[in-house]
Amino acid sequence: MYYYILDQGNIPIEKFERLQTQLSGLLAEFKIGGEVARVTPLRSVQDLVEIASQRACKTLVACGSDDTFNLLLAALKGRDFTLGFVPLDDQSFLSKILGIGDLLGAVKTIAARRIERIDLCKISGNYFISSLEFGVMSQNIKSTGFWSGLKLLSSEPKSLKVRIDDSYTIDLEALGGLAVNIRSTSSKNQKIANPTDSNMDLLILEPLNKMEIFRYKKDIAEGVLENVPKSTIIKCKKIEFLEPRGLPLSMLGRIVAKFPATVEIIPQRLRMIVGKNRTF
Amino acid sequence: MNSTLDDNLNAAAETVVGPSVKIQGDLNSEGNIKIEGQVAGKVKTTQSVYVNEGAKISADIVAGNGVIGGEILGNLKISGHLVFQSTAKVTGDITCQILRVEDGAQFSGKCSMGSNGNGNGKKSPQAEVEGE
Repeated sequence: MYYYILDQGNIPIEKFERLQTQLSGLLAEFKIGGEVARVTPLRSVQDLVEIASQRACKTLVACGSDDTFNLLLAALKGRDFTLGFVPLDDQSFLSKILGIGDLLGAVKTIAARRIERIDLCKISGNYFISSLEFGVMSQNIKSTGFWSGLKLLSSEPKSLKVRIDDSYTIDLEALGGLAVNIRSTSSKNQKIANPTDSNMDLLILEPLNKMEIFRYKKDIAEGVLENVPKSTIIKCKKIEFLEPRGLPLSMLGRIVAKFPATVEIIPQRLRMIVGKNRTF
Repeated sequence: MNSTLDDNLNAAAETVVGPSVKIQGDLNSEGNIKIEGQVAGKVKTTQSVYVNEGAKISADIVAGNGVIGGEILGNLKISGHLVFQSTAKVTGDITCQILRVEDGAQFSGKCSMGSNGNGNGKKSPQAEVEGE
């Protein structure tokens, strides 16, 4: 049975109610109806996951923003569900990654039920399937104008210390970086950011000269650092961010932890319904 | 072979150590490794390792193939092809199946080559090279 968790989040109420009506119609049309539960101040995503578990539901679908899906991941606590996602937010990063598209595309994807086992990442009690950023990286570049972006990329590098897989320590001067499981852009190198390989990728951006900044700004904004010269790429299962202490680690622009922090991968943990246009 | 090896590494290196990076410890990988910075410890991969010009390595390297353009202080155990580019400076013993040394490369150590790719062939030729 399908259990749909509807979360308004920051979506205006009129738009949310319109989307909710559309969704109900589409679920009936594609014959994938189930129980629909709405998040309220008295019923959090975590409470609704508990209810779904008690009712022995097999498929959980987060309907809302990327944050709704991340809250759902945090609420799973090792329980085994097949997961789906319906984006109600036009700016959804996850819908691109999972190849879902809009509301109609998401419902079609769930009806088609193409399931992939994907890796899950964990940091300080938070779970995610996408990526974490630190320092100057794509979210900063995307959220600022052209000249501000160039200024950010010309800023002073930070002395970074990271320990990998309890095996070796990296010291370097870096502008920023990413710990990636999946990203929203495809790359020529299919081995990087592959969420089914039981590894995550640490991509680190080193200081660039002005010509390089102009030339590779787009790649940096999209997080495709393997195209940027002097970048470091490490495939690993565990990353301990040691120094500089206090440097924020953010997910989709929201700070989730600060250095020192540890990110670990839980291989093939999730059964995820994905679309044919997924990026991996 | 060399250009193919180069192309493969540039196209699909799974691990890239940038020029300002200093690594201390054991770097293990199941894919190609490209090193442009400094490594102290051990480097191990079943695939190919590319040590770029400017890289400094104080470590033993175990790999499938190797293209060396930087400085290495340590032993190399390569099961396939090993190429010393003109900028290579290697101090240590090497074991490989096929070796190519370009003009200008510097190598000081023992060289052991065997048909089984481990340098342990029964009638393996052995070479010692000192200096340039």
